[in-house]
Amino acid sequence: MEFYFALATLFGFRILLGLSAYVVILTGQISMAQAGFYALGAYTAGAATALWGWPIVPAVLLGAIVGAVFGFLVGFPALRVRGLFLVIATLAFTEIVRMVFLNLKYTIRVGDRTIGPAAAEGFRGITYYFENGWSSLQIAGFTWLFVLAVLLAFWLMDRSRAGVVLRAVGEDELAASSVGINLTAAKVSAMTLGGLVAGLAGALYAHYATYLSQEEFGVLLASFAVAYPLIGGTGSVLGPIAGVLFFSLLIDGLRFLGDWRNLLFGVLIVAMMNVRPHGIIDVRLVRRLAALLRPAPKRAYAGD
Amino acid sequence: MVDFLQALVDGVMLGATYALLGLGFTLIFGVLRRLNLAFGPTILVGIYAGSHVGLAWPGALAAVMAVTVAAAILAGIYVERCSFRALSRQAPVVSMISTFAVWMQLQELVSLFAASRTMPYPSPAWLPAVAAGPILLRSDALLMWSGATAIMLALFVLLYRTRFGTAVRAVADSSEAATLMGVNVAAVGAAAFLVASAVGGLAGVLIAQSQQQVTPYFGLWATVKGLTAMLLGGAGSLSGAVVGGVILGVVETQTLWHFGGQWRDLAAYALLFLVVALSPRARGEPSL
Repeated sequence: MEFYFALATLFGFRILLGLSAYVVILTGQISMAQAGFYALGAYTAGAATALWGWPIVPAVLLGAIVGAVFGFLVGFPALRVRGLFLVIATLAFTEIVRMVFLNLKYTIRVGDRTIGPAAAEGFRGITYYFENGWSSLQIAGFTWLFVLAVLLAFWLMDRSRAGVVLRAVGEDELAASSVGINLTAAKVSAMTLGGLVAGLAGALYAHYATYLSQEEFGVLLASFAVAYPLIGGTGSVLGPIAGVLFFSLLIDGLRFLGDWRNLLFGVLIVAMMNVRPHGIIDVRLVRRLAALLRPAPKRAYAGD
Repeated sequence: MVDFLQALVDGVMLGATYALLGLGFTLIFGVLRRLNLAFGPTILVGIYAGSHVGLAWPGALAAVMAVTVAAAILAGIYVERCSFRALSRQAPVVSMISTFAVWMQLQELVSLFAASRTMPYPSPAWLPAVAAGPILLRSDALLMWSGATAIMLALFVLLYRTRFGTAVRAVADSSEAATLMGVNVAAVGAAAFLVASAVGGLAGVLIAQSQQQVTPYFGLWATVKGLTAMLLGGAGSLSGAVVGGVILGVVETQTLWHFGGQWRDLAAYALLFLVVALSPRARGEPSL
């Protein structure tokens, strides 16, 4: 059972990370900065509980807020660039964050242990769950509380005016701005929201992992973050979940291949991009499903 | 002052190889209007192949170089088939994500066949260091600079003095107009990819003989340096990529001298972020 709780917790982090990239992708921007926000959230929340003795809930919220602040800050320069160049700029941001944590040294001594970010040696001793005797079920439940909250919020947002505005910007910026949508506001708020969710995911991850090393928060994590919604589809919030399931099943399902696994992994992604370039759950599939579920409209016949 | 000059000279030498990487990126981006993030890993494959030859036949420097370039070209053809030709009707971002996947494949491939994490690369050890007054010119750096300069000159002759080069620049300018003038755009794109891979392979030889070793991280490193050089120079300008590469090299060595090694990569990434986010040309339509 322990194993399944741990798996559920890990899926929670991946889904949150995928959702943070999803909201940015809705506005037509592909951001590799999510790994940077994730790292910022993780280090901040870890420092809050381990170094400053905060309780877990405010620490996690602080991580999310720090992610949001940086999302807001990155959102503005990101307005000037689109497409491929935005990917590069945000990738550089993620690497800058990683390099800063590679050089950051801020440790305290607790008894005979050294706690805190110790530059290249990583951040040890984020033991809040352990100290308070949380079981793996409690950890999984706490993580999924946030996952479900974010899923619900995004689901409602998708059905509201805000969701329509974001998608309109993503479809066609020129058309969106000509019907009076404020592009700056839409893009920056999507980036801020993405930063918030990624920071939240990082904050939760830090307490699950108890040890952070800057190496984890590099290009690979950033590409997974955008790959979840891109492969899973951006038709609905279920898309990133489909992406997480696709990748996680692939990673574990291909384990019997040993060292050749990662090689085939790349082949399958290339194949997937050829078969379903808009992802598993794309807008067209969502519309078709919605049409199936909705009762058939009354048909008006001539002469009725 | 001598430190500053020494760092400046080192930077220019290092920058010459960055310029080569930037030229490889620019060729592909200019003609196909797509980013090939697997460019660095393509070179990685070449260097690993060369390293294996160097281990098997010590002293066969020419064979090492030839195998490095040939393997880089082969890997380049594979990337072109998977991520560009197969996806030519999809959005450019789709190609780019696909090059990420190919990147993972190539990196895994070299790790699978590597005897150890760090592989040695042979270098011509007989060259002496040259001292010009108080400034020391390391032989490997000098070789890197002169080799890179020679390749650049050859590339510029190819692009500005031959019929093929005219076709490449025509496609980069406007692929519609080039099609109307009877240029086979798809063929020119594939050929530009080949030339870029060959330039990448040669740059790989020059860099690897200077570092004398290679790890799987080289792929990421080369991609970031090449991209930064290209973007510093205005994305799509050939001479711009050369200038961008040299600027990047100088900024890196100056950071290294004044602040220490751990800030060197940070400075390079910060430069990349600022250039992309703030330059007015980055969002304009680039031309080759």
